[in-house]
Amino acid sequence: MIRIVDLYKKFGSINVLNGVSLEVRKGDVLVIIGPSGSGKSTLLRCINLLEEPTSGKILLDGEDITGKKIDKNKVRQRIGMVFQSFNLFPNMTVIGNVTLALQKVLKMKPAEAKKAGTDLLTRVGLKDKIDAYPNQLSGGQKQRVAIARALAMNPEAILFDEVTSALDPELVKEVLDVMKDLAKSGMTMLVVTHEMGFAKEVGSHVIFMDEGKIIEDGLAEEIFDNPRHPRTKAFLDAVLS
Amino acid sequence: MEGLADLAQKYFSVSVIKEVFPFLLKGALYTIIFSASSELIGIIVGLFTAIIRVTKVKVLSQIATIYVDIFRGTPLLMQIIFVYYALPYVGINLPAPAAGIVALSINSGAYVSEIFRAGIESIDKGQIEAARSLGMSYAQAMRYVVIPQTMKRVLPPLTNEFVALIKDSSLLSVIAISELLRTSKEMMTWKLNPSSLTAAALLYLAITVPLTRLVSYLENKMKKGDV
Repeated sequence: MIRIVDLYKKFGSINVLNGVSLEVRKGDVLVIIGPSGSGKSTLLRCINLLEEPTSGKILLDGEDITGKKIDKNKVRQRIGMVFQSFNLFPNMTVIGNVTLALQKVLKMKPAEAKKAGTDLLTRVGLKDKIDAYPNQLSGGQKQRVAIARALAMNPEAILFDEVTSALDPELVKEVLDVMKDLAKSGMTMLVVTHEMGFAKEVGSHVIFMDEGKIIEDGLAEEIFDNPRHPRTKAFLDAVLS
Repeated sequence: MEGLADLAQKYFSVSVIKEVFPFLLKGALYTIIFSASSELIGIIVGLFTAIIRVTKVKVLSQIATIYVDIFRGTPLLMQIIFVYYALPYVGINLPAPAAGIVALSINSGAYVSEIFRAGIESIDKGQIEAARSLGMSYAQAMRYVVIPQTMKRVLPPLTNEFVALIKDSSLLSVIAISELLRTSKEMMTWKLNPSSLTAAALLYLAITVPLTRLVSYLENKMKKGDV
């Protein structure tokens, strides 16, 4: 479904992505791990077209989405994104956050959008918070709203960019649980995370990145139980100990 | 002591103030009408030019920047004189009230543009990214996500700007508009007593003090995170 071919991204003279190639099939949960600064987030941001790659291709169902003629808004409707810092709209209620794009992009009627939004918020366990404002929610609740907001556009895949990193430890689980449910329902997911337990349990594939390159990739159990590359081994030893 | 009595008689004569007050009220009304309508036009001009500047539309954004530089960098008095006395030579003949509103509006628009630009740039980049990741266009993200949040943040500086504009509108007296200051000067010549100036000052305060109080109220509310 998503195929990345030899992707490079430079910020000034710094190479953040150094020739990344990968493939994600429908229903895959691809977990991307690696030290900070290894280019994981930049990779996700390129897929969502928030960053423009310096060279290389990103194919969505065979179509190169880095091309000039591509309607970026259409691509982003098909690939949702959830951010580390939530980025909820603080001036709107929870239901307002979830339904804004439904009304403005998909031109849904308010009542119809509200029904769809309520269903999604029920799914992430926040039905009783629909009229609350983001600043009245805990971090975990905010992130679940952000997931519902991304789901509202009915995307074919969702990118998760370190979505639990800004959360207090006791709030991490409620967000991971929602993500596990999503994975079970067959959603295609690309997950950058430091939650190794989640990676191992939910990930269908795992990629280890360092210095803008994919160092090792494989099935979750292979990478975690039997890393081949010394750098993967060193990283896993450091984060798991 | 004689000095104080003179001062009271010249500047604080209750009988004179009572007599000129109805005229001054009319002047105050003009001051409010001129500054409020100019502020309104200024907000539209300022918002528009601010958006052009932050989106960095080529040429247009340079023109907008030049506009802001010129009208923030020269005295308002000079701008009023140009609009009223110089524009007729290129065929633009505006009656004094129209010239006054044009001059005040473009001047306030330049300041408001800066206020909006700073406001828009203070909104976290993640807001636009979140909106765009949902498939919204840049224009939609600005309109539905960024600008509404900016409006709340710019309310205090915008109100401050309005207070400044109310006082600056007294400069319209040079093109014979009978706003508050000019009226009070006319009253002074009529009564041969400057107490009307004191009365005008009180009227200015009656307009501006509630507005400055509103600013502190809004700022306090923001600090508490209600806005």
